[in-house]
Amino acid sequence: MIKKKMIISQETMDVDFVRKVEALAGTSVRRCFQCGKCSAGCPMATFMEHPPNRIMRLLQLGQWQRVLAGRSIWYCVSCETCTTRCPNTVDLASIMDALRKLSWDSDGASKESYVQLANKLFLQNIRTYGRQYEMRLAAVFNVKSGQFLKDLMLGPKLIAKGKLKMFHSKNKNISEIEKIFTRIEEMRKKGDAL
Amino acid sequence: MGKPLNYSYYPGCSLHASASEYDLSTRELFNVLGIGLTEVPDWFCCGATPAHNVDELLSLALCAKNLELADKVEGDMAVACASCFSRLKTAQHVLGVSDVKRTQVEKAIDAPVKLDSNVKHLLEILAKDLGLERLAAAVNKPLSGLKVACYYGCLLTRPSDVPNLDCAEAPTIMEKVIEAVGAETVAWTHRLECCGANFTLSRPGVVIQLTNAVLESAKAAGADCIMVGCPLCHGNLDIRQKEIEGVYNTSYGLPVFYLTQLIGISVGLGADKLGLDAMMVNPMPLLKEKGLL
Amino acid sequence: MSRIGVFICHCGENISRTVDVERVAQEVGRLPGVAFSTDYKYMCSDPGQTLVKKAIQEQKLSHVVVAACSPRMHEKTFRKAVEAAGLNPFLCEMANIREHCSWVHENREEATVKAIDIVGMMVERVKKNRILPTITVPVTKRALVIGGGIAGIQAALDIADCGHEVILVEREPSIGGHMAQLSETFPTLDCSQCIMTPKMVDVANHPKIKLYTYSEIELVEGYIGNFQVTIKKKARSVDEDKCTGCGVCMTKCPQKKIPNKFDQNIGMRTAIYVPFPQAVPNTPVIDRDNCTWFKTGKCGVCQKVCGPGAIDFEQQDTLIVEAVGAIVVSTGFDLYTIAEKPKGSPIKGYGEFGHGKIPDVIDGMTFERLASASGPTGGKILRPSDGKEPKQIVFIQCVGSRAREKGISYCSKVCCMYTAKHTMLYHHKVHDGQAYVFFMDARTPGKSYDEFWRRSIEEEEAVYIRGMVSRLYQKGDKIVVMGSDISVGVQVEIEADMVVLATAIQPQKGADALAQKLGISYDKYHFYSEAHAKLRPVECATAGIYLAGACQGPKDIPETVSQASAAAAKVMALFSRNQMEREPIVARVREAGCVGCFACKKVCAYGAVEEKEIRDRQGNLIKVVAYVNPGVCAGCGTCQATCPSKSVELDGYTDEQIIAMIEAL
Repeated sequence: MIKKKMIISQETMDVDFVRKVEALAGTSVRRCFQCGKCSAGCPMATFMEHPPNRIMRLLQLGQWQRVLAGRSIWYCVSCETCTTRCPNTVDLASIMDALRKLSWDSDGASKESYVQLANKLFLQNIRTYGRQYEMRLAAVFNVKSGQFLKDLMLGPKLIAKGKLKMFHSKNKNISEIEKIFTRIEEMRKKGDAL
Repeated sequence: MGKPLNYSYYPGCSLHASASEYDLSTRELFNVLGIGLTEVPDWFCCGATPAHNVDELLSLALCAKNLELADKVEGDMAVACASCFSRLKTAQHVLGVSDVKRTQVEKAIDAPVKLDSNVKHLLEILAKDLGLERLAAAVNKPLSGLKVACYYGCLLTRPSDVPNLDCAEAPTIMEKVIEAVGAETVAWTHRLECCGANFTLSRPGVVIQLTNAVLESAKAAGADCIMVGCPLCHGNLDIRQKEIEGVYNTSYGLPVFYLTQLIGISVGLGADKLGLDAMMVNPMPLLKEKGLL
Repeated sequence: MSRIGVFICHCGENISRTVDVERVAQEVGRLPGVAFSTDYKYMCSDPGQTLVKKAIQEQKLSHVVVAACSPRMHEKTFRKAVEAAGLNPFLCEMANIREHCSWVHENREEATVKAIDIVGMMVERVKKNRILPTITVPVTKRALVIGGGIAGIQAALDIADCGHEVILVEREPSIGGHMAQLSETFPTLDCSQCIMTPKMVDVANHPKIKLYTYSEIELVEGYIGNFQVTIKKKARSVDEDKCTGCGVCMTKCPQKKIPNKFDQNIGMRTAIYVPFPQAVPNTPVIDRDNCTWFKTGKCGVCQKVCGPGAIDFEQQDTLIVEAVGAIVVSTGFDLYTIAEKPKGSPIKGYGEFGHGKIPDVIDGMTFERLASASGPTGGKILRPSDGKEPKQIVFIQCVGSRAREKGISYCSKVCCMYTAKHTMLYHHKVHDGQAYVFFMDARTPGKSYDEFWRRSIEEEEAVYIRGMVSRLYQKGDKIVVMGSDISVGVQVEIEADMVVLATAIQPQKGADALAQKLGISYDKYHFYSEAHAKLRPVECATAGIYLAGACQGPKDIPETVSQASAAAAKVMALFSRNQMEREPIVARVREAGCVGCFACKKVCAYGAVEEKEIRDRQGNLIKVVAYVNPGVCAGCGTCQATCPSKSVELDGYTDEQIIAMIEAL
């Protein structure tokens, strides 16, 4: 049944997924009337395989596999231009957040690994230290992404300018941050939160 | 003089690292202007873009936690970083309209959510709380002849109903503030376009392309320098400027100041108190040429 | 003992979907006094009405309750049916179980219980109904038409051609409205001036039409057949009887740089002016805000050069009262502007399009003036900023329309067609130019409309791009248009010389204030509401007032003209009778109880309460009591509520009836 996967049919239309996105994003997906203004102003549209309006259209048709598999949602830079200018009051930036969360939860559905990796490291840093330490973030990112030489020339200059701290400390109240992370995990386990 | 101005101060992670000059110049400037800043004790990261990108609940909880911590300090909350400002404002907005999310966040931080505290960006404090007249009165070295391109980027004004700092499409607050201390401003096309923000880590190629368009527009408008209120914008415009010049085989040489650095110069603060040496594009030749240092 | 018949309507499924109509009929049938009770799918249809009539005769019914839709919808229908069966029509009442029950509830059980209560109340009420004689009033066979655009002109001419007098009131110095501003009209491209100005002349020359330009409605009193309208005729500063329309005053006026609103402020006019050369009447007006004489007391050039001595600086606003029997409202539309709106306005501006500050970003009406042979450029398409001919022109549709975020969510209906027309006019005038249109959907239902749009693309070579524009900004002397084409999924950037925005159609400013004077209703956008969207599209719910044109919603010219003629036909139907029957729902004074305090007279908004002397047989005055003139009374009931001695009763809404309803609950 290869054909079934290639075409849009009622078997591939997942309305429940759309409802989940709407609940997470707090905005309507159905309301979009495909005027394309979001794509017209999106600074990242040229880097996406599906411009924002097409993401909305695919969503309206319940095509979550097509939406999550691509890199488009990970190339959204959260500049909020689409939400600001949408004539029909659709909060597209929040829909992008919701889609990324759902992709994140399904772990690795997307092709875009670098942005996901950066996000993962960022959140790990918060959990461990309470705050963000850019030096550590950048170094670990380069190691994990296998780009050892990325921005090689920049590092020493930044250190010289005092822009990257070599050492950092943990927040005194760091246990509280761990509690927030665990409470959220527990809520999700019990099904109290999406 | 009006009533004394005192704020709880939320610097955010960048101001303790890559944007330390923003932190330094903010403290020094506010000291000169007689505005009290008390740092929020043991503040946490607001979660920034990565948190809301993949986990809105975590993002809201981190912001709610910081609002709770800030509540222990007298006064409205002063925020320097545009991204922290946007996250804290968004959290207040979302938690105000969604009972479901508020309940979840209250469970996560095990405390009631504070929605009534006022979160203000430094620009708002200078333009509205202190007022342009009082700001102008503090000037002893007007920035005459300096042509400034005010760069808003994304998060200071968008989306229209959340930060409520100024009109999302035609803001003027940065221009008003810097004109109050004697500078000229230029009209340019890309003051609201995105620089690529946190893609600087994961996809620098994107940032180089977008930031180049911003620099090109500012240069074409005849600006001497760019003024920002966001460490991410600053990072891309300043730190990556040389690299961009290389890629596009061009030369911009546009120093990128934090608003507190430029205003700091106008009230007579020295280079050492404003962290001017931390800037990658050296501002000294420009400042000397204009007779400002 | 009354024998009441109760008739429960299903309204197709509108009522029966939520209300168990059979159960309502059963339960109500058990109420004391109810002799007959039944339900039927469409009670208002012919078989339904026959059912009512037959039951009245066979069951010897004394009163009737029809439980169906709102009385505003079908009270007349059923009272007529009841009358045909030999019963006084005012012994029939309607219980509203649709708008007040089935449409607003979801729970079937609860809705059914509520419906039973509503019908039960009306059963108790109808027991107290009295036979009321119908009242006849004379009809004043003169019509008032408010607004002198194409809608008002058409309605006025149609009514006047039938031999009735018409008072036509126009706010501006000339009639003609927006249609007079247009260059050519879709879908035939005939010149607006050529088809419009002869009609304007017809108005001016018609013996039955009295024209008041530069005038506004001040006050409206009375009711259908008998309105008194106060018109404020603003001081023109020119004596209309003396002025010959020679125009010397205008050539000599030294104030020459005043933006002309008729030319969308791109052309200039003098302080004494007619809005355009073909104006009707061809009598100038002095714009006192910009006239040197009125500002400084010096100048007076116009007065010196005027041969017949028509200039009158001392002229005052005057109030004129006219009696009319019917009113046609045709106040038209206004265009949305993208400028920043004042705080508090629900309608937002377009910051992303520069808030109206980019000089070569204009609206569709401004393009019409540029394209018009009688416009400020003599029909040449030239940019406002530097007078150059734009070689790359971009049209953007749906600006303000279909934009919930900006405060307007409706479709303005005419923009798809006029933008297609603009691309053609442009192509005809600038042969080496290229037109681009950013659009969402092309909405072209109408005779020869779709063919017209296709012609714009296929023959006139306009490039249509399906996608909206995110931002416009000035770059050098070009305007950068940041758009996208959603069909191919790529961004489109065009450097244009000029941008034309198809901005939304809105009601005229002050539409709400006029509606309040007239006592007619309007929607949230201030478009006037028709009595019924499908079956009474040109009538207001307020009797005797009719609607024509874009004041009721966005409309093109053919539709406006049709509606104007329809409104005129309604007026003529009213004028076909010398007398008209009106509902006898009027207040009556119980003279024995009246103490003559005249509190009722003070509160009566219609001036219906008079003073009446009561004398004994010898002619000695005993007391003065209130008397309600049934011809004038509107049946609002304010006097009844005010009377301290409870001596006023409103027929059809007596205290006894209302208390019976409350007690039934």
